Amino acid sequence: MQTALREAVALLLSGDRQLGIILATTLRMVLASSLLALVLGGPLGVLLGGYSGRWKGVLVVLNRTLMGLPPVVVGLICYMLFSGVGPLRHLRLLYTVRGMVIAQVVLLTPLIAGSLESHVSSVAPDIRETALGLGLSRGRTLLLLLGESQYQLLSAYLLGLGRAFAEVGAVSMVGGAIAYKTNVMTTAIMNYTNMGSFTTALALGIILLGVSLVLNAGVALLHGRLKR
Amino acid sequence: MKLPALSKTYAGRKVLDLPELTLTDGAVHAVIGANGCGKSTFARILAGVIPADAGKLPPLGAGYMPQRSYPFHMKVLRSLRLTGAGREAARAQLEAFGLIHLEKQSAGRLSGGETARLALARLLLRDYPLLILDEPTAAMDVTATLLAEERILEYRSRTGCTVVLVTHSLTQARRMADEVLFLREGRLEERGSAREVLSHPRSPETRAFLDFYTL
Repeated sequence: MQTALREAVALLLSGDRQLGIILATTLRMVLASSLLALVLGGPLGVLLGGYSGRWKGVLVVLNRTLMGLPPVVVGLICYMLFSGVGPLRHLRLLYTVRGMVIAQVVLLTPLIAGSLESHVSSVAPDIRETALGLGLSRGRTLLLLLGESQYQLLSAYLLGLGRAFAEVGAVSMVGGAIAYKTNVMTTAIMNYTNMGSFTTALALGIILLGVSLVLNAGVALLHGRLKR
Repeated sequence: MKLPALSKTYAGRKVLDLPELTLTDGAVHAVIGANGCGKSTFARILAGVIPADAGKLPPLGAGYMPQRSYPFHMKVLRSLRLTGAGREAARAQLEAFGLIHLEKQSAGRLSGGETARLALARLLLRDYPLLILDEPTAAMDVTATLLAEERILEYRSRTGCTVVLVTHSLTQARRMADEVLFLREGRLEERGSAREVLSHPRSPETRAFLDFYTL
């Protein structure tokens, strides 16, 4: 462990080009996919939580099922869609960061929507009743609902961010872990482990944890400010 | 204001079964009765929150304060301005409800009584032909309750609106109501002027309820 820690520090200080690219690719993929999933999953979660029609139960169960989607299944589906014989081959998304982002968004959106839905479901009746009593429009009520969920929105984002950092199954299938192109921290760790370079793999793991810690701390700080 | 016969059933249990009613324009109607007698269901149907199973209400344009008003997590002054009120009108209203010292505080951090006062202050910033209040002072202390009652009556005098006040407090009904509707197991047991119903009830059930609650 000590050796791995020393190597992690040495790797960071060495300015290794390959590590820089892996880090940059990871951050690009993680931030793009988590933000996109937030943009899609946030309103979806609010709408689902605020909806009280008879299909609510079915929609919630459907979303919860999607929350448990195995990443390799998403990876496989994306691979089949993007590959040379797939219907989306003309988009040339296979073995690209954009393709990896799409796979991640598929995984993260239900997660963010689901985590927001349970919060909104609990506050929506009171918000709706109060807003209706004041004669506010539906649009205004929805905006209020969104505003009242900003703290949970950030919590949901944190959840998505963590999942995006840890994901390996889908991104390795869609990205192919190509050096200098689509190799991210998790796939690099897998590659080094397969090559028997356990210390380097562990060092990368420590760096991944560090980066995740810094990002999460930043969001948590914002979280704390919103709470005040 | 004429209301059709209204009924509501939850899980096979009829919680409300009211005949056609006429609300006297400009009067305060106190709705009293034991827990689960259908008071809040009546208020929520009138406000359009839930539909009645039988009896279709026309849009009443009512202002409504639910039993649990949501404390929006924003500054108190901003919360009042959700109604579209101007800054000065909102500040004057906070002054009138003794909340001006809290104008910059987050509404989510107020006590239960302050939250209820804020909800009432916010509601009374707009004019409605019908005002429905579901236990508006249940969380307030005596001073705040008396102040709130005064503001509601002032509002009624100014706008000429009809008020439906759901309350557990018989003393509040005595102080405020022109008419009283006593509900029992979802049905209208007795209705009349406040003096009649609260002092000389016709129905033995109303008498038993009043005797029990004035013990």
